[in-house]
Amino acid sequence: MAEVFVPAIKIADVPANGMVVVDVNGARIAVANVQGQFYAFDDECTHEQCSLAEGDLAGTTVTCMCHGAEFDVRSGAVLAPPAVVPVKVYRTRVDGDALHIEV
Amino acid sequence: MAGFVVIGAGLAGASAAIALRKYSIDARVTLIGEEDEVPYERPPLSKGYLRGEQPVEKLLVRPREFYEEQAIDTMFGSRACRIDGTQRVVHLADDRRVPFDRLLIATGVRNRRPPIPGIELQGVHQLRTVRDATRLRAEMRAGRRAVVVGMGFIGCEVAASLRHHQVEVVAIDPGPTPLARVLGEAVGGMLAALHASYGVHTVFNDAVEAFEGDGRIAAVVTKAGLRIPCDFAVVGVGVEAVVDLLDGSGIRVDNGIAVDQYCATSVGGIFAAGDVANHFHPVFGRHIRVEHWQNAMRQGDNAARNMLGERIAYDDIPWFWSDQYDANIQYAGHHTGYEELILRGQLHGGSYAAFYMNGGVIDAVVGVNNARDVRRAMPLIKARQPVDPGQLRDESVDLRSLATPPSDPVRTPSSSATA
Repeated sequence: MAEVFVPAIKIADVPANGMVVVDVNGARIAVANVQGQFYAFDDECTHEQCSLAEGDLAGTTVTCMCHGAEFDVRSGAVLAPPAVVPVKVYRTRVDGDALHIEV
Repeated sequence: MAGFVVIGAGLAGASAAIALRKYSIDARVTLIGEEDEVPYERPPLSKGYLRGEQPVEKLLVRPREFYEEQAIDTMFGSRACRIDGTQRVVHLADDRRVPFDRLLIATGVRNRRPPIPGIELQGVHQLRTVRDATRLRAEMRAGRRAVVVGMGFIGCEVAASLRHHQVEVVAIDPGPTPLARVLGEAVGGMLAALHASYGVHTVFNDAVEAFEGDGRIAAVVTKAGLRIPCDFAVVGVGVEAVVDLLDGSGIRVDNGIAVDQYCATSVGGIFAAGDVANHFHPVFGRHIRVEHWQNAMRQGDNAARNMLGERIAYDDIPWFWSDQYDANIQYAGHHTGYEELILRGQLHGGSYAAFYMNGGVIDAVVGVNNARDVRRAMPLIKARQPVDPGQLRDESVDLRSLATPPSDPVRTPSSSATA
């Protein structure tokens, strides 16, 4: 089945340099707004399942509040342990005032 | 080349072996560990594992097959008993010898076993290894009576896990509150109230005189004269660095193994990391020995890279957490005494941060159900600049806004590798 872009949230609802969680087909996906660029990734930290959207965003780095794991929101790559496994990222597309996420 | 040898297969040693392979594809790496088990993480031993919520596999630093796949030679179930710094050889208890070019000592700590009469009785437990935790878990049934001796972090977490299984708990500590020496009496008092609210009977300013029983423990007698009948006991009264094997090695020992900011000992080519290392911390300008998970993981990695020829000072801010009931407690920094304790939030309000201040500078922060402020305070601790207490107290102030520009994000070993 081809992956499709699904409208997920109004871009105005993602605060600048902030994160929100959206539900896309039952999946909890975090959306980060980095200076007008939108990045989408699984909200669940790959270490112990804490919410990444409840963490801190600095530039393109998200820090999990539970144990300090850091990920690059662009690629999902682990930047700091204790996480070992990258977080899954999704492609995004702005269409009018809506952000679409490919799932 | 004899290669790189790591003594100690806890988190620090395992992290070092992993890093040695990560940064050197052809290094010969040998990891020696006293326990039979592959390296595992200890924090769950007093929490999720003890409560029976996590299998052993969830504790492992890496999957069992990792070490063979990564061509890391492992010698588990082997105790190193002597280091010859001149001949560059590690002697094992079974008379084998392991030569090295570069050596990391990550032997950690062992639990103190005070000479209390009856401490050898059956049912008097301690907690350090997965085997200890498995044995203790077998005792945990609703309605049984336990005495927890020592309300440090381990004692507090064990008490919480015991209450989770409806074990009746009496907890004894020589201080006026749990963790009074570490966190101060204000925060300690809040912890005392927390444990009391979950049904722990606390006994402060007292200590164990004797464990009584015929073969198996039946009661604990305290110095103040209490006699507490029980079915089992857990003793957590501090630790001591495992440095016996250094006798005659020439390596300087001072509250653990004295190392510089690069994790190097006084003998060339020999390094130390983790709980056993009394490390010169460049941020605090003094030696600090940290007995926590993050330090073991990051310092092990850092030491490995310096063993490979880099010169990277380890300057992570010490950080740890403790989970007790519904309270997530996090601490960052390092303090011994403090001139002022600045509260952000209410001590008994369920969520707050407390800053340990000296000379207007934040030395450390503890947060209860407030990991965010603890993490945001870490750059402030690292900056060593005076911070306005009014701003710290004001919960509407984002702590990130107090960082003195240019802000220096906490550097991590992995990010500095690519710098």
